[in-house]
Amino acid sequence: MSRNRTRIAACLLTAGLAFASLSAHAADEIVIGASLPLSGPLAGFGNYQKWGYETAVNDLNKAGGLSVGGKKMRVKLVIRDDKTDPSVVASNTETLISREGALAMLGSCTPALVNAGALVAERRKVPLVAGCDPLGAFKSVRKWQYAWVMFFDEGDLATAPFKMLAELGLQTNKKVAILHDNGPDGQVVGGMIWPDTAKAGGYTVAQKTSFPVDTQQFTTMIAEAKATGADIALVDAIPPQAIAIRKQMASAGYKPKVLVMEKGAEPEQFAMALGKLADGVLVGGYWDPSFPYPGAAELGKRYETETKQTQSQHIADSHAAAQVLLDAIAAAGSLDREKINAAIARTNKSYVIGPVKFDAANTSRIPITVMQWQAGKSVVVWPKDRANGKLIFPLPAN
Amino acid sequence: MSIAAKNHSGWLLLPLAFGLLAALSPALSHYALEIGFRILLLVTLAEAWNLLAGYGGLVSLGTASFFGVGAYALTGLLNLTAVPLALALPLAGACAALLALLVSGAVFRLRGLYFTVGTLALAEAVRLFMINSDSFGGAIGLFLAQDPPGLRGLYLIALALLAFTTVLMTLATRSRFSILLRAVRDDEDAAAQIGVRPFRIKLIVFIVASFLTGVAGALQGLKLGAVEPYGMFGIQWTVNVLSIVIIGGQGLRAGPLAGAIFVVVLGELLADYPAVHLALTGVILIIVIRFAPQGLAGLALRRRDARGERSA
Amino acid sequence: MPNLEVVANSLVSGVLLGGVFALTALGLSITLGVMRLVNLAHGELLVGGSYLGYFLLRHTGIDPIAGLALVGAAMALLALPLQWTLIAPLAAKGMEAPMITMFGVSVILQNLFLLAFSADTRAIDTPYAARAITLGPVTVAEIYLIGFAVSVVIVLLVHLLISRTPFGRELRASSSDAAAAAAMGVDVRRVHALTFALGAACAAMGGVLLGTAFSFTPSSGGTYLLISFAVVVLGGIGNIFGTLVAGIVLGLLQSLGAVIFGDGYRDLVGLVLFLLALALRPSGIVRRAGHS
Repeated sequence: MSRNRTRIAACLLTAGLAFASLSAHAADEIVIGASLPLSGPLAGFGNYQKWGYETAVNDLNKAGGLSVGGKKMRVKLVIRDDKTDPSVVASNTETLISREGALAMLGSCTPALVNAGALVAERRKVPLVAGCDPLGAFKSVRKWQYAWVMFFDEGDLATAPFKMLAELGLQTNKKVAILHDNGPDGQVVGGMIWPDTAKAGGYTVAQKTSFPVDTQQFTTMIAEAKATGADIALVDAIPPQAIAIRKQMASAGYKPKVLVMEKGAEPEQFAMALGKLADGVLVGGYWDPSFPYPGAAELGKRYETETKQTQSQHIADSHAAAQVLLDAIAAAGSLDREKINAAIARTNKSYVIGPVKFDAANTSRIPITVMQWQAGKSVVVWPKDRANGKLIFPLPAN
Repeated sequence: MSIAAKNHSGWLLLPLAFGLLAALSPALSHYALEIGFRILLLVTLAEAWNLLAGYGGLVSLGTASFFGVGAYALTGLLNLTAVPLALALPLAGACAALLALLVSGAVFRLRGLYFTVGTLALAEAVRLFMINSDSFGGAIGLFLAQDPPGLRGLYLIALALLAFTTVLMTLATRSRFSILLRAVRDDEDAAAQIGVRPFRIKLIVFIVASFLTGVAGALQGLKLGAVEPYGMFGIQWTVNVLSIVIIGGQGLRAGPLAGAIFVVVLGELLADYPAVHLALTGVILIIVIRFAPQGLAGLALRRRDARGERSA
Repeated sequence: MPNLEVVANSLVSGVLLGGVFALTALGLSITLGVMRLVNLAHGELLVGGSYLGYFLLRHTGIDPIAGLALVGAAMALLALPLQWTLIAPLAAKGMEAPMITMFGVSVILQNLFLLAFSADTRAIDTPYAARAITLGPVTVAEIYLIGFAVSVVIVLLVHLLISRTPFGRELRASSSDAAAAAAMGVDVRRVHALTFALGAACAAMGGVLLGTAFSFTPSSGGTYLLISFAVVVLGGIGNIFGTLVAGIVLGLLQSLGAVIFGDGYRDLVGLVLFLLALALRPSGIVRRAGHS
């Protein structure tokens, strides 16, 4: 039996060496790697990102490829599914770098996954550009050198509803009920910034409850919210939970005048699962095809034509992230990772997501707008210079 | 060849194989080291589970809890104390073993399917507790303050862990202890009648398996540099280990290795089709249970014995 | 400490939801009692029922609860070949092999759902799915009340089936002593097949109710698996009324846990109770003569 083991060990060694010598890319090709959640709870986001990354790369290749130091090179994008599991993101990032020979990486989605990939990229000194990771959560991990994120800051997201309420002069009883998950941004937005901003604005925090990210039943906390009679309900949860909370609010007969559902109310599946119940729900957003950025309207239309699905803002930050990376490689004029990293630091241009310029903490901030679901469509209702529809207030009775 | 001679050559070849794998490490590419690490870690986990379930008859679905405890314990030790890595790893394993000790009283009152379901419930309870509890970072988890060793260093540590595991497994399955273990597995009550103390035997096996699982978890946590409850306490670890041992062959020494290589290679080949990969793993699991209950290693053994019979 | 109204609403909701838990656990209880099968794919059968109900509504407009019998029958028909090909051949091989087989089935089904229906969260959207109903001082979700009523009715029907019909007699005979039953002329294999189908149907019907009250994804089966196990063990394997009572008690205690500690602790409370129940009854709940 031990002889079998030795034989097997020898096979393992040979297989390992064989894998090691696998060269998966041609000589005049640049490989960009990306680990995305294409299955598991975040699969919805992952699919938008996949489209954004692929579109940016395909467009570039069709235009002749990436011009590096006078030579035109084709870009090969390799995407792996990380199943919404940080361990898989880490191993995907490692294999994309070592087996596929990725020159640089594009990030996954949500803090836990982006962090996992960024930590590996950082250790291997491989540049990684990402959207889909709130800046506070990104900055709190460490001082980054090779990882770059363009996204919104949790502070902007959390204060937006209050700014909107004040600016539009909406009449409420100034009582706020906060329900947030205990994930990284849930803790920051719901646990800290919402209560602080509320108190500073003269609102009363009538309730503040946190729950694990995958809770299914919210009966008790919703009953408590109803008992407080709060006119303003602020919720921070991912889509499955947001959907459950909205339904259970209706089942409990809790009718706040203003209902904000961060993260969860963002994707289309929220509106599809809830139908009429989604109407009037507010969610922070950072992009809409109607924004005055280069190529915004075209990108949205293109997505809908190609995939026959409603567009999502995630196609924009992923598209921009890919373009930022590709532009940096061209600007560096070489395939040297240090030069590419330095080029990313010098980025200063307007992309489909808006102006991108990284600060000393490797972050580029995207401003927040407030959107509202109206008859199955996502409408920008604040600030005035970005709004493309009128706010529905109060929350419609179902 | 006589049985004695067979055994002797086995004793020589194993350390040789390990030495070879270690000596070759500078020549291996990053990818090979990554795959090597994964296989080594999974084989360690599978050996531990094999000891518990295959040899001990205790089919546990609670692997993830000990794995996660090891990972968190290591992160805590390295972040909060000045304990060196070489000591922190076994200490993390000891924490997992401590958990095993704590629950053994309750869990060993259960037999057969109740034990299995009980370990599943335990794993889920621990996972939920870690998610809810802020003192361990809650859903955000913990980040390792220091940089982990490079991939080659991790690979060598994993190799050392597997070597240690192999020694333990050899001791467990070739000594007098193995007879006691088999007696308890086959009929606990009868064993008690003839003077074996089942609780103690089961406890030893449980603690050893949990210790090894905990150290493996600590190693994974070290590699990631960040631990959080969904990734560390999630059922996927239990699923992987179970699949590996069943496909490889439970209650056989070569089972975990065969299973781990098969599963990792399959995973790499189907890396671009994750849903297919998982569904296929389920199908293979079912086919193996139905047609080859001794797993791949069992098939290989039967063929070797058949060939031996024909030549005799 | 939250006010009385909140507590009352929570506890009543818990009781009502517990009834639905009982229905979902019923299938598990019967298969465990009769076939000694630890059905680790139970959660996926439940979610499968949710999907059936969802698409029934989408494509035919038939209300899933009105068409509950349809969903149950469909699932039963789907479950029969599953049992025949995968479980029946392992009948003589002890408890472990079928359990691991069902584990494999669970993995396969989860990924089939993912491939076929995508990872999107879905919910069965009927007019009463998110409506409140006030019964005196308490306000509860209408779907909870409907779910409770439907579950109790089905549990009673199953009880009648098992205690009054010839099939029920054969089922009881097979579960207490399969060898003796076979000697008396009972086709034990047929009984096992039909029992599995019945269990799957109950799971599916429970899935429709839960899919209407909450939401579901390809991987949401796992939570319900453990809840069902807890109910089964608490109520006594194969004990129909015990399952109903245990479901209600579990729902109640979960809500109590939620009131005291928060909704996030519901599942944890349920699991701790489950572990306590397992630990305090040394050899499992109902010990059948001649079997361990």
